[in-house]
Amino acid sequence: MQRMLLPRRLLLASLAGILAVPARAQQMDISRATNFVDRAGQDLVNAINDQRLNQSQRRDKVASILRSAIDIEGTGRFILGRYVRQASPAELQDYLKLFDEIIIRNLSSRFGEYRGVKFSLGRSQQRTEEDALVSTLVERPSTPPFTLDWRVAEINGQPKVVDVIAEGTSLRLTTRSEYSAVVQRNGGRVGALLDAMRGQIAQLAAREGG
Amino acid sequence: MTCSPSRFLGSAALALLLLTGCATRPPADDPEALQEFRENNDPFEPTNRVMFDVNEAIDKAVLQPIAEAYRDLLPKPVRSGIRNVLGNLRTPTILAGDLLQGNVTRARETLGRFIVNSTIGIGGIVDVGRRYDVHGHSEDMGQTFAVWGAGEGFFMFVPLLGPTTARDLVGFAIDVYTNPQSLIGQGQILDVWNYTRIGMTVVDTREALLEPLDMVRKTSLDPYATLRSAYRQRRSFEILNKDGPGGAVAPAGGVGFGQGVLEPQ
Repeated sequence: MQRMLLPRRLLLASLAGILAVPARAQQMDISRATNFVDRAGQDLVNAINDQRLNQSQRRDKVASILRSAIDIEGTGRFILGRYVRQASPAELQDYLKLFDEIIIRNLSSRFGEYRGVKFSLGRSQQRTEEDALVSTLVERPSTPPFTLDWRVAEINGQPKVVDVIAEGTSLRLTTRSEYSAVVQRNGGRVGALLDAMRGQIAQLAAREGG
Repeated sequence: MTCSPSRFLGSAALALLLLTGCATRPPADDPEALQEFRENNDPFEPTNRVMFDVNEAIDKAVLQPIAEAYRDLLPKPVRSGIRNVLGNLRTPTILAGDLLQGNVTRARETLGRFIVNSTIGIGGIVDVGRRYDVHGHSEDMGQTFAVWGAGEGFFMFVPLLGPTTARDLVGFAIDVYTNPQSLIGQGQILDVWNYTRIGMTVVDTREALLEPLDMVRKTSLDPYATLRSAYRQRRSFEILNKDGPGGAVAPAGGVGFGQGVLEPQ
């Protein structure tokens, strides 16, 4: 019932995503996905709240946990969508490298600010045949709790995060619109997106001081 | 006849509908581009992007500084009380939405919250319902149209109101026109009250969006496209009544930036 009510756009987008990622995803076991999110989430919370680490150490620790938990390549391809085929092999390789850096930098600087964060598993539900949606509740001191859903897929025999959904807004769908708009507004050139991504990394690095 | 603030807002929104330019449709031999064009459903994108830039300019010059000053000057309990009062005042719209969608359980919650919060909660300042785990939720005419099966229509960006769609903007206009507070008569006191309420709603909503919008401006390569996508996703989520336990306490209604308005920070 719920699936029927979902906008067609979302279904089409996920369909396009499945086509873009060549049959690597297998059936995802819901309890395996839940355990995986629980473990990765606790690791993250421990790193964020670790008093012994200074800010840059904490960011590195968070980045390495994220890197092992997220299917960066698959997510990057999903987000680039139809432009995966329009990009030259060298452009695609550059894109995946830049995407890795942006996603890790963005997420670790965002999570790095969550001092005193607590997180707990919410109700979790199987969503499609390929992946599972694990719901968690994130609580921070002096801010209202919010739900964060993790889409987990079985990638090459390992559970991996393929999307993060905050209060109904999916990071990969939003980023996909963003990147696609950049390519389109620059005459359909993937190279323009790569330039914009490089510019963003330079800005992020300047803000973090390294 | 005096022009009430809500009527003025409604007319301004409708006037914007007419001031539009068109996006170029991709060629028919590129089915994927065509499909994306249809999914974006943003035929007036060039105009919308201009409106977005106008909004950014107004926001950075006026709204954001006001919202920041508001947060700095007033302590959290005061801002929380204001947000609760504004949420409580939206009860007629929310209750109408619950009933028109045939959701008796949620209608009962809305009505119960209104009675308890208006009395024990001293005119809505204290959200007593929340303490008993009866959380507030959002409803508006745009959501009701969606539940009735209406498509969202084309995307629009309206300065001061933010991202919206044809369906949600029509819904918003209906919500504004049918709000009992704009129907119960005319007069200076009522006008002042309505201007105050609308002004406070704008400041309160903008304050709630300080961090999310900062984040979009900082991390997005195309904030317009990001907000367009986030708005739609957030609306689908609200239409399906999937609001989380954080609970929207003073939901922005048919317009907003793809964000729920939660308790103040």
